[in-house]
Amino acid sequence: MDNTPALIVIAPLLAALLAGLAVWIEERLSYLIALTGLAISTFSAVKVLMQVIDSGTIQYRMAGWAPPMGIEYRIDLLNAMVLLLVASIAFLNLLASYKSVDQETNDRPGSFYTIYLLFVTGLLGVTATGDLFNLYVLIEITSLTSYAMVALGDRDRGPLASLNYVFIGVIGASFYLLGVGYLYLKTGSLNMVDVANILSGIHGSSTVLVAFILCMIGIWIKMALFPMHVWLPNAYTYSPVAFARIVAPLMTKVMVYVMIRLMITVFGFDYVFETLNLADAVVWLATIAVLAGGVMALSQKNLKKMLTYIIVCEIGYMVGGAWMGNQLGMTGAILHILNDALMTFALFLAVGNMVYRLKKVDLPDLQGLFGKMPWTMAGFVLAAFSIIGVPPTCGFFSKWYLILGAFEAGAYHFAAALIISSLICAVLFFKVFEICFFDPMSEGHGHGDSHSHVTIEEAPVSMLIVSGLVSLSLIVAGLYSGTIVNTIILPFLK
Amino acid sequence: MRFLGFIIVCLTGALLLYGTGEFPDWGDPDSPASTHLSNHYIEKAIEETQVPNLVTAVLADYRGFDTMFETAVVFCAGLACFLLLRDFSQKKERFYRHTPTGVILHVKDSKKTLKVGKEFEHMDKDWVPSDLIIKTVCRILIPFIQIYALYVVAHGDFSPGGGFQGGVIFGSSLILLAISYDLKTLVRRVNEKVIGIFAALGVLIYVGIGVICMSMGGNFLDYSKLAPLVPGDPHHIRALGMLGVEIGVGIAVTAAMAIIYINIVSEGRHDEGL
Repeated sequence: MDNTPALIVIAPLLAALLAGLAVWIEERLSYLIALTGLAISTFSAVKVLMQVIDSGTIQYRMAGWAPPMGIEYRIDLLNAMVLLLVASIAFLNLLASYKSVDQETNDRPGSFYTIYLLFVTGLLGVTATGDLFNLYVLIEITSLTSYAMVALGDRDRGPLASLNYVFIGVIGASFYLLGVGYLYLKTGSLNMVDVANILSGIHGSSTVLVAFILCMIGIWIKMALFPMHVWLPNAYTYSPVAFARIVAPLMTKVMVYVMIRLMITVFGFDYVFETLNLADAVVWLATIAVLAGGVMALSQKNLKKMLTYIIVCEIGYMVGGAWMGNQLGMTGAILHILNDALMTFALFLAVGNMVYRLKKVDLPDLQGLFGKMPWTMAGFVLAAFSIIGVPPTCGFFSKWYLILGAFEAGAYHFAAALIISSLICAVLFFKVFEICFFDPMSEGHGHGDSHSHVTIEEAPVSMLIVSGLVSLSLIVAGLYSGTIVNTIILPFLK
Repeated sequence: MRFLGFIIVCLTGALLLYGTGEFPDWGDPDSPASTHLSNHYIEKAIEETQVPNLVTAVLADYRGFDTMFETAVVFCAGLACFLLLRDFSQKKERFYRHTPTGVILHVKDSKKTLKVGKEFEHMDKDWVPSDLIIKTVCRILIPFIQIYALYVVAHGDFSPGGGFQGGVIFGSSLILLAISYDLKTLVRRVNEKVIGIFAALGVLIYVGIGVICMSMGGNFLDYSKLAPLVPGDPHHIRALGMLGVEIGVGIAVTAAMAIIYINIVSEGRHDEGL
């Protein structure tokens, strides 16, 4: 029996527990255990992706029970891609975090690794599972760990941000659970494929409609779609950097994956786009999200917070693309899950390097950074270009598909919003570049201000290498986006 | 804002009511929930798992993978409490009582400590005079509660019960000890390190059993593959696997309850509270 699909999720879980035990023996050990666990997970994810591309969907029965009775992992091209994305980003981030974890959680790094690994386990489990309730349990794990992490961050504001996140997050999860309950009432099953089969006979039922709406609202709250985004900016800004770097690219993207999974596998295209008349309204909502995210980002004075509003804007792209109701839009949305995770990761890695040296990243603090941290800034510029959508980088290609999809569906307002928000991003990032390019004004010298004597160096090599690698991967992903679309996304949508 | 909230609540309520329109009737034997999967569980569970308690069979075997993560959730909660609340700094003020005279000393300097022994007694800030009746009753009761908890864990396969319930009962006996005596008595008996290790160990037992099944050539958590390792009737191997898993759950839940209680009442200082 081939156990690789289970290993993707079990390896980090086991590592989390062992790391938790190792804290009492030797703190350094827990870092090594965490790294090993994620390496195994990443390796298995690569293997599974290869297998799925070669021979199609993999089904793995937990405890050996056949699907509707037991829980199954059902890994097709879409999951396999997202699994690899999550596992590799978690692994790379851990490599980059060695120093910053010590700096930020000075007295208990061991427990930090345990929570970190449980968070990753949750994300991987959400992605791999083929069972509606199992999905909920794992969402609970990711949420619980991220509440704890956010509260660990900024001493003054972290706990309050976390409390807001707890309230809204719990409401979101309850909506999803209620939706699953409604579905169970009508179908008597929790397995996604089984539910889909039964649902195809009862499309007209009002209970199914309500179940669909409840599930969607729950997932939208979790992915921070405007106007349900209020928890996100503070939570991500005030969490520890090592955690912000992974939660920002992955949490929202995995939730977009869940939405697409529910739309395609559970309820089905026919139901979502033909029985229901919601698509136009949702695309309008996404349009507003894109614009609102951009405008709010424009008014921020802190770099980290600005980036979190860009995430809100990007969520709008993916939701809009997925609800366009055509293949091009869906392709764009799925490609954007991959690209946006990489871009956001690259941006936050660069910001992490800055925070490591500067401690805070309000825009005025960044003056003269091009001279002082050239490599970090190079990575930042590349990631920024990708967010704006400059051609050789991957951000351009997914936006291209999204715009094509919008034209095909006649959603010109969405296409316009996309272009406007790209312009806003361009303005935004060039403003940051301008601040970073020029040295601080010389007035500091006159007053003998101690501030100007602080010399800032480049970040540690371990952080730079990861940052550079991920930034370069943006170009690689851009150049190979045709291959990704042809081998993964289009066969999946067929 | 308040008006907007009211409208949203009304809309959600209306939506939920609209959804109930096509609900199956109350207790309808033909509803999908009681015809689709339930029949299989009711007819086949005993035959397939050798466990007479159907709830346990579904919980710990058919959907054992979910239960494993539920245990991880409990562990997470305990760990989060420790991580956020635990305060290793020394307390600033201390109270002592001079036992022979009953005079209470209030020491404000954290560096000065009095030797606690025959002459001086450590005292909580919100000290409640000890109550002989409560202490005696609890002292007699606690061992019975703990034995009962062990029964509930061990008997999960045959009657209502299992790891979560047993763990909660055991944990509550520890909390009762802290309430009837004081927190220090509890912390003296269950060391912080020990409960920390136990919390992780409980989940590890669950995951470990799954991994052993995997290394014996089965799927994750497929208890039937444990047969060569355990002496006795291979027929009952699934029930034994479930018992092992339930013990893990019980340990994790007990430890997590103790961690959460101790950290919350003492504001993370582990010295006094409630």
